[in-house]
Amino acid sequence: MCDACGCVHEDNHEHQESGTRKRVDVHESLFEANRAKARENRKHFDGRGLVVINMISSPGSGKTTLLEKTIDTLGNEIRIGVIEGDIETERDAERIRAKGVPAVQLTPGGACHLDAAQVHRGLHLLEQERGGEDIRLLFIENVGNLVCPAAFDLGEHQRMVALSVPEGSDKPAKYPKAFGTSQLFLISKTDLLPYFDFSLEEARREALLINPDLETIECSTVSGEGFDQWLDWLRRLCAA
Amino acid sequence: MHEFSLVQGLMGQLETLAAENGAERILLVTMEIGPFSGVVVDSFRFGFEALAPLTPLTRNARLIVLQLPQRYGCRDCDNEQDMDGDARPEDCPCCGSREIFPLGADDVVLRQVEME
Ligand SMILES: Nc1nc2c(ncn2[C@@H]2O[C@H](COP(=O)(O)OP(=O)(O)OP(=O)(O)O)[C@@H](O)[C@H]2O)c(=O)[nH]1
Ligand SMILES: [Mg+2]
Ligand SMILES: [Zn+2]
Ligand SMILES: [Zn+2]
Ligand SMILES: [Zn+2]
Ligand SMILES: [Zn+2]
Repeated sequence: MCDACGCVHEDNHEHQESGTRKRVDVHESLFEANRAKARENRKHFDGRGLVVINMISSPGSGKTTLLEKTIDTLGNEIRIGVIEGDIETERDAERIRAKGVPAVQLTPGGACHLDAAQVHRGLHLLEQERGGEDIRLLFIENVGNLVCPAAFDLGEHQRMVALSVPEGSDKPAKYPKAFGTSQLFLISKTDLLPYFDFSLEEARREALLINPDLETIECSTVSGEGFDQWLDWLRRLCAA
Repeated sequence: MHEFSLVQGLMGQLETLAAENGAERILLVTMEIGPFSGVVVDSFRFGFEALAPLTPLTRNARLIVLQLPQRYGCRDCDNEQDMDGDARPEDCPCCGSREIFPLGADDVVLRQVEME
């Protein structure tokens, strides 16, 4: 705090209060514009009876594979839709469409995260896809990145952070925001536990320190271990 | 690099503020960037230096960034400690507990604007 004027900066500066110079206290978050859009999205989602899950993880943690398997087992029970946030390609959306489920690919073009405005556009694009009109469960597969997506509310109801065994169990401590803002922590590729130095205990403990309310599911789409727990979690969300 | 899109949003906010206050030039912009915001301060500065000269309103604007310390809380007592840089405390200096968690300051806030 500057004693001369009560301003918040500390470096030397001139105070020629010339009468035209004006200091305005603002206190506004730069994320507020996105938050406002996210609130609109949430109304949009609720109005259409959608349950929306924002999937955050590093690249390659197994998100699209998990979605494919989920559609295989749950597709007849719950109408699923997917918004994909890959950076450059349509590949993930094509994998989902191959399962007969409506999907749109947002390509943020080198950006490191999806924002609420992009998701709003994605929602309208999805409505134009076959079957896109009556979805119950909408997955948003965010851009692979544990830092930036955590800072942008998309209006989702549930945020999940996925961490695959090869990435290491120290990640919750290193990326507190992704774990602090999520409701579900999915530890994926648990079939690989025998081959990696991954401590389930450490991962769970660190994540719970940041976020005591975080639910944890350990799951492998290869061995099928823990997959039922994941399906039950989804069923509970959609039943509510 | 979402710092760039955040700076773009900031420029819009500055325009609105200038209009509301009948100002023609932004002189000084003070930001507060939390250590857990996911925003890299150097990238934010870079974005500001790239975008500010593009309009007469912000051509001569200076940016001040207040960096808040990384603060950690203890689950076993109410102690809070600040850390420098990216270091993370091993335990609580107060009670020795290892139950340490990051606290608050994950926002990027426009604090103050000087204009004329
Ligand atoms: N061992 C093992 N491999 C898996 C599992 N799930 C996915 N994989 C493999 O991990 C790789 C990446 O899987 P994807 O589903 O494409 O991962 P993603 O998170 O969608 O990747 P991006 O969208 O590129 O970030 C593929 O080679 C999958 O076959 C698993 O449970 N166990
Ligand atoms: Mg994918
Ligand atoms: Zn001053
Ligand atoms: Zn709309
Ligand atoms: Zn980023
Ligand atoms: Zn303590």
